[in-house]
Amino acid sequence: MTMLALLLVANAGAFGLLPSPGAEAPGSSQAQLFADANAAYLSGDISRATSAYEALIAEGVASPTLETNLGAAYLRQGKRGEAALHFERALFLDPSDDDARADLTELRRGNVDKLEGEAEEGGSETLARVLAPLPGGPASVVFLIAWCAGWAFLGLRVFQPQRRGPGTWAAAAFSVAGLCALITWGAAHGRKLALQRAVVVAQSAPAREGPQEKSATHFEVHEGTTVRVEDEEGPFRRVKLANGLTGWVSSVAVELVVPPGWAGRPVMAGPSRASQP
Amino acid sequence: MRRGWKLKRTGSVAVAIALTAFAARAAEVELTATADSSEVALDGTLTLQITATFASKGSVTPSIPAFADFDVVSRGQQEQTSFQFINGAPSFRSTVVTSLALTPKRAGDATIEPIKLDYQGRAYTTQPIHIKVLPVGATPSPQAQRRPPPQRNNPFAGLDPFDTTPGGPDPFADVHPGQKDLLLRASIDNDHPFVGQQVTYSLYLLARSNVSSIDKLSLPRLDGFWTEDIESPQQLVPEPKILDGVPYHAFLLRKRAIFPLRPGKVTIEPSEVEVLTGFGMLFSRGTSKRTSQPISLDVQPLPQGKPANFDVGNVGQWQLTASADPLTVNVGAPITLRIVASGRGNVRDLRMPRLAPIQGLRAYDATTSDKEKVEQGAVMGTRTVEQLLVPERTGTVEIPTLTMDIFDPAQKQYRTLRTDPIQIRVAPAAGGGTASEPVAQNVLSAGGVRPIRLRFTTATLGTPPWSQPWFFPLLALPPFGLALLLGLSGARRMMQIDPNVKRVRLARSAATRRLQGAQALLAKGDSAAFYAEVARALTGYLADKQGVAAAGLTREELAQALQQRGHSEDLTRKLGRVLDDCDRARFAPTAGEAPAREAMLGRAEQILSELDRA
Repeated sequence: MTMLALLLVANAGAFGLLPSPGAEAPGSSQAQLFADANAAYLSGDISRATSAYEALIAEGVASPTLETNLGAAYLRQGKRGEAALHFERALFLDPSDDDARADLTELRRGNVDKLEGEAEEGGSETLARVLAPLPGGPASVVFLIAWCAGWAFLGLRVFQPQRRGPGTWAAAAFSVAGLCALITWGAAHGRKLALQRAVVVAQSAPAREGPQEKSATHFEVHEGTTVRVEDEEGPFRRVKLANGLTGWVSSVAVELVVPPGWAGRPVMAGPSRASQP
Repeated sequence: MRRGWKLKRTGSVAVAIALTAFAARAAEVELTATADSSEVALDGTLTLQITATFASKGSVTPSIPAFADFDVVSRGQQEQTSFQFINGAPSFRSTVVTSLALTPKRAGDATIEPIKLDYQGRAYTTQPIHIKVLPVGATPSPQAQRRPPPQRNNPFAGLDPFDTTPGGPDPFADVHPGQKDLLLRASIDNDHPFVGQQVTYSLYLLARSNVSSIDKLSLPRLDGFWTEDIESPQQLVPEPKILDGVPYHAFLLRKRAIFPLRPGKVTIEPSEVEVLTGFGMLFSRGTSKRTSQPISLDVQPLPQGKPANFDVGNVGQWQLTASADPLTVNVGAPITLRIVASGRGNVRDLRMPRLAPIQGLRAYDATTSDKEKVEQGAVMGTRTVEQLLVPERTGTVEIPTLTMDIFDPAQKQYRTLRTDPIQIRVAPAAGGGTASEPVAQNVLSAGGVRPIRLRFTTATLGTPPWSQPWFFPLLALPPFGLALLLGLSGARRMMQIDPNVKRVRLARSAATRRLQGAQALLAKGDSAAFYAEVARALTGYLADKQGVAAAGLTREELAQALQQRGHSEDLTRKLGRVLDDCDRARFAPTAGEAPAREAMLGRAEQILSELDRA
């Protein structure tokens, strides 16, 4: 049992069990490129800063700081959709990133789309925000350890009924396991919601009745609006707004907050956003 | 690069145009006479230029007096007539320039007598010119060298071929044309410039014969230079020049400022020109092609000791100023900061200082504009950077000194230009203060994009544990493991049972099997064996289960032993009777009838059941 616990903890980082902004030291060349991008941003050369930040992302760097800065650069360029996307990604990587949250709030004040009506999702946005900071990774590890420990103590209780203590310890371990299971479940649910989140990056995109160009247009969404992707069919995605408004939007116009290849999300076949016209 | 190029001597053309109808229109005559120096050596030559300008078409000839103190060595005359419409009416203006080369007759003070001109019945006279004649071999002082003053409407003004401003050498100093009457001459004013320093490239046509026009002027490629045209004359304007004692006309074809971009030796390829000689188009004698000589430059790298912030584009003689407008402003109102660098040099490569972030001032992206002009043969430029600043707090905000490091090729040293600091007084915004609270308030509203972060941290991305394939199997492992352990424990207990205990547990089944054997014997009709087997079933059970060896006991001892084990008296009595009946039947076969034997089986099973329950 002790060996199992040590093994789990030792491999927690390797399996991405623990949310760890700052857990990995960036390479010196990446740090230099990041510093150059920041210098360009501060000197007013926003386009050069944006290119440098994007180059880091193209290298596979996942950093809440990088995403926040890139979002700010896009916002200064007036690209609200891209800015919102990168602020959302910063929050996915580090839900406690206060700068990204504040910038996203500021950005949304200027959004074209203003949602009306009751939130049909029952406040899924709020729920996602509440669940996102839950330490799902560590909780799941503790849950596993406590679960195994509980059963071990229960076994002792069965086989050595004359000994005092295993029963109490078993009860305590199962209590801890239950609490951690609850946290893990919450984190898993929050993650499921996060994986469905997307941002409209096109200036405007028609939302249609079906996944076809000839389908009638119901309404229009504009850059910076956050949506939930419920389905995908060909070059279209079925998106739902927070107030329940649903329609099919071109996949190019809507970018997933958690891109393929991130956090265990499968890499989908097909052209990436960068290669799309 | 080859360009179509055509210059005409408009004076010759004008002669061919007979528009004499307007000649009668009287006009003012300007007559001037200038000498190129106030001093001349006794063995030297003085150039006297007489210019007559009058408002009509045609030609006049000033009257040259017989000079008392000078001999006339050579004489040349050029004429030019311009034609234009003024207020809808055609208007002519003619200029006649007469150049005389004079040599003094004696040393001492000399005088050039006034020049006279009679035009349409009126006489015009110039002032006498006093010249100091120095002894043979003496050199006139530089202050004595003077150029003809610029004259209003003088078409030759500013076209002094010897002006390779500023301070350039005479481009014809080393020209010895020999017997050539037409040659193309290229020159530069500095063959050891620094990188980024202006060099003036001039191209002259020297002619003894009359030049009608220029065709197909090909200028060299100037790779490795940034270039700017200084003069590109559209008309051929001759200037007299005496080379090796022979009078020539020098025609400036092109003057261009070039700025070397790299250090090292560079050769400027020759230029080429086709010249049409003769008088005008009707009397042209032919076309001659002339090529200039190549020119070599040795471009010097900038000297050592560059300041840390020096940019290689900042070469020239520059001045830096900064200004802000307005200097008193309300919070949130814009201020325009202008940083201006002006001077001589290549403005396009100039790197301007940048304004560092200032606490309390929000700075927006700067815009840059350039202006260029040519002054006295030098390319002058002005670069203006305008930046919008918005104060975010009240009080005094200072824009600090801005610095720009330059290299001054004239002084051959680096210099640091500095602007004066600018104080801006920021007052509260309109409506931000109240009468009862005169102190300025600093209103800090939440919002706006936050500043970027500079510390680079990365996050590790991975699949969460609950999505790993081992997660749920690992969860199921403990309960299954415990269940397995329990099963194995039970099996082990079964494997390790005591034979006596096992015999006790299996006593009933053994007794049952014997009764079944007795039933088989009953079916065969062997009554003695039947009763013996029934008795063995009961005694065997008693031996296995109760630990009572019935065979060695009397009925009373057997009943007593069973009663000691908690069995009832009635049960012991029944057991004794059954055992007695079995004994009697075994040894008295006639007493055992079939119904009695079957009843015996029932009685034996009942006793076993009761013994089992007890």
